[in-house]
Amino acid sequence: MKFIKNHLMFILPLMAILLGIEFYLVFERTTNTYEKGLTEGYSMLVVTKDPVELSTFQALNKHISSSEKLKRDAIVSEVAKGVNKSTSEAILNALPYFYNIGLDSYLHSSELEMIKKDLESDTNIKKVETFGGSYNSSYKLFSFIKFTLKIFIVFMTIVSLFLIIKQMEIWKYAHKERMQVMEIFGAPMMLRSGVLFKVAFIDAFFSTLLVSAIFFYLKFYWAGQSGIDIMMQNQEALFKMSDIGILFSSSLLIVIIAVYSVVFSSKGVQE
Amino acid sequence: MSNVIHASHLTLAYGKGEKEVIKDANFSIKKGEFVFITGPSGSGKSTLLKALYGQLKPSEGSLVVGGLDLANIAQGKLQELRTHMGIIFQDYKLVNEWSVSKNVVLPLMIAGYSTEVQETQARRLLKHVKLSEQADKYPLELSGGEQQRVGVARALAKNPVVILADEPTGNLDDYSSNVIWDLMENACQQLDTTVLVVTHKIPTIFSLPYRHFIIESKGVYEVH
Repeated sequence: MKFIKNHLMFILPLMAILLGIEFYLVFERTTNTYEKGLTEGYSMLVVTKDPVELSTFQALNKHISSSEKLKRDAIVSEVAKGVNKSTSEAILNALPYFYNIGLDSYLHSSELEMIKKDLESDTNIKKVETFGGSYNSSYKLFSFIKFTLKIFIVFMTIVSLFLIIKQMEIWKYAHKERMQVMEIFGAPMMLRSGVLFKVAFIDAFFSTLLVSAIFFYLKFYWAGQSGIDIMMQNQEALFKMSDIGILFSSSLLIVIIAVYSVVFSSKGVQE
Repeated sequence: MSNVIHASHLTLAYGKGEKEVIKDANFSIKKGEFVFITGPSGSGKSTLLKALYGQLKPSEGSLVVGGLDLANIAQGKLQELRTHMGIIFQDYKLVNEWSVSKNVVLPLMIAGYSTEVQETQARRLLKHVKLSEQADKYPLELSGGEQQRVGVARALAKNPVVILADEPTGNLDDYSSNVIWDLMENACQQLDTTVLVVTHKIPTIFSLPYRHFIIESKGVYEVH
């Protein structure tokens, strides 16, 4: 019972940190897909006097990734319904050129204003419409969700680190005597700390295994049956095999730091 | 006979040299000698012993043990040197979560001896200190005298070049103390091991020829 309790005291906070890391990875992947969707769905409207090539737009601002020229004929046919052909031609000649401008990433509204300013600096460009209002509200909501989750992950990590430090003190208390006696008799550091490393590596392995199992379950059972669109659409992003490597490396790094801290703080013979 | 321990203008201090305990000490101890170091409480007896097993670096002068100057010794060399030492403490310093036999073979375990050799040696050593029946017990199940006999057996496990003992009978009754002195005399006589004992009082039952150093007013002086 004591054995299980001792392991759980380290496995649980380690799992909390690994859950934080995995949540972060999943969230980054999911939000990247969502962000990509938002970016692709967004375009600003630019009105020019003369036709403009994409390279000209890109020379004005590096965030511009695409430009689509709107068909003027279609616009004229919409606005000049019922007028004769010559009038229609006159409207077409007088009509400026319209472009849908796509961006390379999901930018802050202040950056949209900057793009607008850059574009308007060209005398050929008559008008730029960023549709900033709706863009801004989507961006703010998106940023808020991202920020909240990151704060939660950071908070969870800090609390878990404190629990790990607490466990390190318990380790120190439990292993100090043995390590010091071994040190007196000339045992090298790896031999002195062998037991501690063994315990820590077992804990790191089980923590990784448990967190991976949770996300495996979420990906293959829960997500498909959850009925939540974003989960069902991003099922693939929920867990990747490479995540096991990231989680195990992270847990190993944590246990190595923890064990070395305990070993170095236990050096020297107690009076 | 060659010197196993040689101190030359040795100064030992705590902190950054501000609290001197031993100052400008000069002495040599040869192979196979039995040496007592006495002195009043707080005179620096245990400090000298700590320096001898490399726990405290000399602040000035040199302290050569087994041909290695402890003033400038690398960590790896110090670990190697310690494997040739047997150290006995007043408070035994046994690992309470280990059995008696595992405690005894600690130096062999560190030296990488096989389990078979460790088991054979554990049996031999425990028979030597008359604790064969207690092999599978844990230190806290033993009396103080028995625990110190385990400490002595551990110190003898690898036939050390030198045994350093810090008040080895300080916590023991007369009977247990006499057993410990017997064991150390035997080690010195039969294995030609240098034994250096820090103690308040030289035992009256002691039969071997020995040298006696006293620590007084930060100096280490031989008593003739």
